Amino acid sequence: MKIVVAYKWAPNPQDLEVRPDGTVDAGRAKPAVSEYDPVAFELARRLADATGGEVVGLTVGPAAIDTPLARKAALSRGLDRLVVVADDALVGADSTRLAVVLAAAVRGIGDVDVVLTGDSSIDVAEGQVPLTLAGHLGWLGLARVAAVEAADGGLVVERDLPAGVSVLHVAGPVVLAATADAVVPRVAGMKDILAAAKKPVEALALAALDVPAPGTALTTLATARPSQGERRRVVLEGPTAVADLVAALDLAGAR
Amino acid sequence: MNSNQSWVVVADEPAVTGLVTTARELAPQVVAVVVGSREAADAAARAADRVVWLGEPGQVPVEAYAAAVADVVAAAAPAAVVGATSPAARALLGAVAARLGAPVLSNVQQVEAAADGAVVTHAVLGGLVEHRTGVAGVPVLAVDAGAVPADGPAVTVEEAPATPFAGVTVTQVRPRERTGGDLGSARTVVAIGRGLRAEADLAIVTALTEALGGELACSRPLAEGVDWVSKDRYIGISGQRVSPDLYLAIGISGQLQHMVGVRGAGTVVAINSDKDAPVFAQCDYGIVGDLYDVVPALTAALGGGA
Ligand SMILES: Cc1cc2nc3c(=O)[nH]c(=O)nc-3n(C[C@H](O)[C@H](O)[C@H](O)COP(=O)(O)OP(=O)(O)OC[C@H]3O[C@@H](n4cnc5c(N)ncnc54)[C@H](O)[C@@H]3O)c2cc1C
Ligand SMILES: Nc1ncnc2c1ncn2[C@@H]1O[C@H](COP(=O)(O)O)[C@@H](O)[C@H]1O
Repeated sequence: MKIVVAYKWAPNPQDLEVRPDGTVDAGRAKPAVSEYDPVAFELARRLADATGGEVVGLTVGPAAIDTPLARKAALSRGLDRLVVVADDALVGADSTRLAVVLAAAVRGIGDVDVVLTGDSSIDVAEGQVPLTLAGHLGWLGLARVAAVEAADGGLVVERDLPAGVSVLHVAGPVVLAATADAVVPRVAGMKDILAAAKKPVEALALAALDVPAPGTALTTLATARPSQGERRRVVLEGPTAVADLVAALDLAGAR
Repeated sequence: MNSNQSWVVVADEPAVTGLVTTARELAPQVVAVVVGSREAADAAARAADRVVWLGEPGQVPVEAYAAAVADVVAAAAPAAVVGATSPAARALLGAVAARLGAPVLSNVQQVEAAADGAVVTHAVLGGLVEHRTGVAGVPVLAVDAGAVPADGPAVTVEEAPATPFAGVTVTQVRPRERTGGDLGSARTVVAIGRGLRAEADLAIVTALTEALGGELACSRPLAEGVDWVSKDRYIGISGQRVSPDLYLAIGISGQLQHMVGVRGAGTVVAINSDKDAPVFAQCDYGIVGDLYDVVPALTAALGGGA
C-alpha cells in the first residue's frame, strides 16, 4: 500500500507579530511541522507496517519550507521518502491553490492508495485543505478519522463524529484527515534523526506540475486587528479576591 | 454565471438559517442542494426558494456525494456557494471549490455582492487578523449554520437522486450520549482547562456550574486528549463558539485558538495560578490563585455546593 502524508511546515500564530494595520510580521516565528500533523505520520507508519507499504511525505508552500532542518523534521517521523514543492509563487496561497498543487503532486507520485493529513493546520486552522484535495483528486475525503486499518481489500475507517462513532469500509483511494487525538505520535529518537539524513528527498518544480489556473482571484482590500471588545482586565489577588469578584459581577449585573 | 442565484449546500443538517441568510445577501434567489435525510430537505424547504434533494443516502456517508454536489452546483453556474463549517459540509464545499477553482473562505463576518463577485470580511490565521477580501469570481463560503427554520410555508422538495462514490459503506454507528444542555444559548458558560489535575476533580467545577445555573465547557485538551468532557463541549476555533453573558475560563491559559471562541461573550472571568497567563490580558475579571481553592470558595460565596 502506498500512503502519502500531507503535512504543513508552518509557524505558530502565537509567534506572529500583528502590526497596528493588521498586517503580519513573521520575523520572529519559527516554523515547524504543524501541531497535529504528527498524528497523521503515526497513523501512516502503522498502516504501512501492517501492510508492507511505503510512506511518502508531501508538503507544499513557499521556498522557505524546504530547508535541511525542515526536511529532517519530517523524515525523522517515520517516512520512507519525502516530496517537496517549494516555490515563492505559493506565498499566501489559499486552500484551493494548495490543494490543487498537492493533488498534482499526489498524481505525480502515482499509485497512491491513501492520503493522510492532520485535523487542521496550526496557522490557518480551517481543516479545509484535505477535503478540497479530495475534490481535486475526485476521491472520497473524510475528516475526523480516529483509526484506520487494512481489511477485506480496502480500509476500515473509524470516525469520531459529534453524533457518535461511525465505522466505514472504504475500497478505492481516499483522503483521510485524522482527529487530533487519534493516536499518540512517537517521539523521534537519535536513530530516527540520523536515519533521516539518508532518506531520499525529491524537490518537484511547481512549473513542472499540471496545475490549472485558478477560476477565482482574491484581492486583499484591507487588513485589521480584530476588535477585542475591550476587556476590563481587573486582576484580583489575595484572600478577598473571591468576595471582590462576586461583588464586581453583581455590580456589573453579570450573574 | 447566473447572477440571480446563489446556492446553499446542506450536509444532512436541518439548521440552515445562517446559510440561507448569507446566500441571500449575494443573490436574490437561494437554491439549496441537500445531501442526507428527508428531514434536512424539509427544513431547507422552509428557508430556501428551491430545494434539490439528492435522495436518502442509505449506508453511505454524506461525503460520498461530494462529486455529485459539485456536478449539480457547477451546472447551475451560481453567483455564490455557501455551506456550513462541519467536516461533512467542508467535504461538499471542497469538491465544489475544486470544481470551480475557487477558494473556500471561512470565519466570515460580512458579505456584500459586487459586480464581479463579492467583498467578504473574514478572520484569517485562526482569528489573528481580519481581512476584507475582494473575490473576483464565485465566492465559496463556510459560515455558521444558524438555526432550524421555524415551522411555516415550504417550497416543494425536488427529488433528484444522485449516485454516490462506489466502494464506501457505513458498517456500524455507535451513537454518543449527549450530555448537558445547549451551549449555544447558555447565558453562563463555565469552562475548565488543563489546570484540572484529575477527572474526579471535575466535581468542583460542576458544583460551581450549578451554583451559577450555567453550562459546563472546556478547552480542547480536556475533550480531545484526555476525554474528560464530551467532544462537543470544547470552546474555540475548532470547537464551539459561544456568546454567553458570562464566561469563566478556569485553569485555561488563554491561547488564541481557545479565546477566539468567546469573543462574543459579555463578561469574561479567568481563574489561573499563573499571574502571567495570557488569559489575564483577555478577561474582564481575573483571580490569580489555585483553582482548587478559588473554585470551591466561589461556589460557596454564590450560595451553592457543599
Ligand atoms: C489548529 C489548532 C486548533 C486548536 N483549536 C483549539 C480550540 O478550538 N479550542 C481550544 O481550547 N484549544 C485549541 N487548540 C489548542 C490550543 O492551542 C491550546 O493548546 C489549548 O487551548 C490549551 O488548553 P489549556 O489552556 O486548557 O491548557 P494549558 O495551555 O496547558 O493551560 C493550563 C493553564 O492552567 C493553569 N493552571 C495549572 N494548574 C492550575 C491550578 N491548580 N489552578 C489554576 N490554574 C492552574 C496554568 O497556569 C495554565 O495557564 C488548537 C490548537 C491548534 C494547533
Ligand atoms: N501546504 C500544505 N502542504 C501539505 N499539507 C498541507 C498543507 N496545508 C495543509 N495541509 C494538510 O491539511 C491539514 C489541514 O490544514 P488546514 O486546512 O490548513 O487546516 C494539515 O494538518 C495538513 O495535514
